[in-house]
Amino acid sequence: MSQPKIINRRSFFGKMAGIAGAAIALPYIIPGTALGKDGATVPSDRIVMGVIGAGSMGTGDMHEFMGKKEVQMVASCDVDKAHRDQAKTAMDTKYGNTDARIHSDFREFLAKEKVDAVILALPDQWHGIIAVACANAKLDIYGQKPLARTIWEGKKIIEAVEKNKVIWQTGSWQRSEAHFHRACELVINGRIGKVTHVEVGLPDGGPTNKPYPVQPVPEGLDWDMWLGPAPKELYRGVCHWDWRWILAYSGGQLTDWAGHHIDIAHWGLGLDRTGPIEIEGKGVYPREGIFDVPVEYRIHAKYATGVEMVYANARQVPHGMGVCWYGDKGWIHVDRGNRLFASDPKILDEKISDNEIRLYQSLDHAQNLLDCIRTRKETITPCQVAHRSISAALLGEIAMLTGRKLNWNPDTQEFVGDPIASRMLRRPFRSPWKLEGN
Amino acid sequence: MKKIILSFVISTGILGLILLVPSCTQSPVSDAPNRALIISGQNNHNWQGSTPVLKQILENSGLFSVDVAQTPATGKDMSTFKPDFSKYQVVVLDYNGDSWPEVTKKAFEAYVSGGGGVVIYHAADNAFADWKEYNKMIGLGGWGDRSEKDGPYIRWRDGGFVRDTFPGRAGSHGPQHAFRVTIRDTAHPITKGLPAIWMHSQDELYSELRGPAENLTVLATAFADTANKGTGQHEPMLMTINYGKGRVFHTALGHAMGDAPYPAMECVGFIVTLQRGAEWAATGAVTQAVPEVFPTFNVESKWPLFRPLTLAEILSNLKDYKPGDTRYNLQDLTNYIRQNYDVGEKYATIEKNLLQFLEGTGSADAKNYICKELSVYGTDKALPVLKKLQKNEETAEMARYAIERITGVYTN
Repeated sequence: MSQPKIINRRSFFGKMAGIAGAAIALPYIIPGTALGKDGATVPSDRIVMGVIGAGSMGTGDMHEFMGKKEVQMVASCDVDKAHRDQAKTAMDTKYGNTDARIHSDFREFLAKEKVDAVILALPDQWHGIIAVACANAKLDIYGQKPLARTIWEGKKIIEAVEKNKVIWQTGSWQRSEAHFHRACELVINGRIGKVTHVEVGLPDGGPTNKPYPVQPVPEGLDWDMWLGPAPKELYRGVCHWDWRWILAYSGGQLTDWAGHHIDIAHWGLGLDRTGPIEIEGKGVYPREGIFDVPVEYRIHAKYATGVEMVYANARQVPHGMGVCWYGDKGWIHVDRGNRLFASDPKILDEKISDNEIRLYQSLDHAQNLLDCIRTRKETITPCQVAHRSISAALLGEIAMLTGRKLNWNPDTQEFVGDPIASRMLRRPFRSPWKLEGN
Repeated sequence: MKKIILSFVISTGILGLILLVPSCTQSPVSDAPNRALIISGQNNHNWQGSTPVLKQILENSGLFSVDVAQTPATGKDMSTFKPDFSKYQVVVLDYNGDSWPEVTKKAFEAYVSGGGGVVIYHAADNAFADWKEYNKMIGLGGWGDRSEKDGPYIRWRDGGFVRDTFPGRAGSHGPQHAFRVTIRDTAHPITKGLPAIWMHSQDELYSELRGPAENLTVLATAFADTANKGTGQHEPMLMTINYGKGRVFHTALGHAMGDAPYPAMECVGFIVTLQRGAEWAATGAVTQAVPEVFPTFNVESKWPLFRPLTLAEILSNLKDYKPGDTRYNLQDLTNYIRQNYDVGEKYATIEKNLLQFLEGTGSADAKNYICKELSVYGTDKALPVLKKLQKNEETAEMARYAIERITGVYTN
């Protein structure tokens, strides 16, 4: 993975040349910034990017990367015309031209666009198929969490990323925040002693339930394509954002946030490339309406090291949101908003020396990906790690749905003697969708 | 769902007719270890509706054979009302009406103080404002011109209960609504193992009860939110009272007025606490497990038949399912399969029933849900039926979904 690859900055001048060729009729003025003026990156060094899935997360991510001078954002792809057009407008506004291209189908995007890297911000049912297709197209990938909707798809993404030697960064940006990094370094270096258990608080609540009658698909939305490999459903006005309350597309807050706080919990434990060996869970599922993700969830997982982890909606853990590691010498609790607490505040002043475990440091998540695209080194949130973060949640989901205690082999990634639970590791895709190379 | 509710209404009606004759209706001989007597016949609530439900709930526990003693109607001669309490381990009061004959009152006091069990249900705590010993048994009561003269309010303050002697009325409630019940005594046999806070279905939230409150333990409260015209107080909902050697379980929950359904009585929380409370009152212990479907912090849970449904009932409820309908029926099925899955005969029977459903006239959405269940639990025996479903456009995809998971052979 760390072997440097010469990046072919394939698109920028190539396309400009094409445009310049046509400039007999259409004068094209090369902006000064394109030539490297005022500290701008010269085009040949730019990382050319596109976005597949340009909804709320995709748009946010696009702006984040577009804010980097070394990035040239050139195309958007979304099954909703409003989304892809909005992304194009943002790109065109940024670059002062009308060059950004739009696509409604990721296959067309991959066939036509010559980008270096792509942002994937899709509903979960699409993660496996599109991530694998992008990796096979040799694109480096910024992939939103969770890695995949099923453990089987997560494994397939890793295979494709490794086979194609592409760089992967997950949207688990908390790792690029100093106080999360600090918390994890303190824990992994024994500043609270031997960790016995961890509590992870994920968001409570969910959507407001109301009737969602069948209604006409809004103009510009390709609903069948939005559903993709998920079971066919009539359109009920539940699509962008609210997909996360339906099990066919998401596991709810649990899987939405596993890539944040479970990811951090694993990091501090040094267990981010393995998984639990025993999982039990209790979920409370809504009694009315079309939303079916758990409104309350509590999972108890045990790891081979003996450490036990509870991940639940925040109301069910004493410290609420965030991660709280308990060791035999104290506890550390970390959450968003620079919140870092310990049983004894002195713990937080402890120095970590260079001969101790130093965790990967990045203080700018997007920059970390761009740097790694150049160096071909692993990012702070590679897919192998993201896979274990979401696997913990997906195993919990299976434990809640089956109502049984599960035994899991984190090395083979198989249940031990549980054919029922094993069936839930993979979901058949709706025809004609297929995971490439499978 | 509708069908089953209907059948219940009919049975309620029949029982109601029986009850119209002042009498003591005796149950047929039963294996149940305890005998319970429900006293009913006058109430400002619909006792004709609630009493048969209480009877069913107690019988469904398997712990009680239940008789019903019905008083004469309001204003009629009460002198003949002399039930023999001594035959029963627990007497359940669904009564809020005329005073009993003195001899019956004395017999009841002797029964309770001598170690008998009592369950005070909802408006029974409105009854007998002037009967001093009765008020000691119920601990707290409301209405009937009760006031500070009858005793204090019991208020939750700073993590404990205090007696509040502030003058004021006894008994009030705002409009009915679903509300959360908070367990205050998690060690008591009745409440042990229940969720700490759970959502009770639409009910009157009895408030400002007051009474002697002697030997009283408040097991659970509910916050009467001022937003629902409540008192802004944590009102006692479930209580126990020791009266002599007798044990009293007092539930303020369970309002029933007009025609069924009565959501407050269908609430699994009401049913289970009543069953556990009655067992405790009868025996001093609780042997019943808390069902998995007990309501939780946010989610109500109801048993329209006051017990878990049979597979046949569940499948019948599912027949016309379409997305957007209540998910109760789906969850009933999932839970039923989950709880009875045994890789053996029990599951084989379930699967047979599911396959029969798939070949029947149920909605495609219902069949698709069953296919999803079969994708997890199904055996090779399901394959021929699933293959047939593949021929129907509406069910083809989910049938394939099930077949692929069962066989482990994925086409996509």
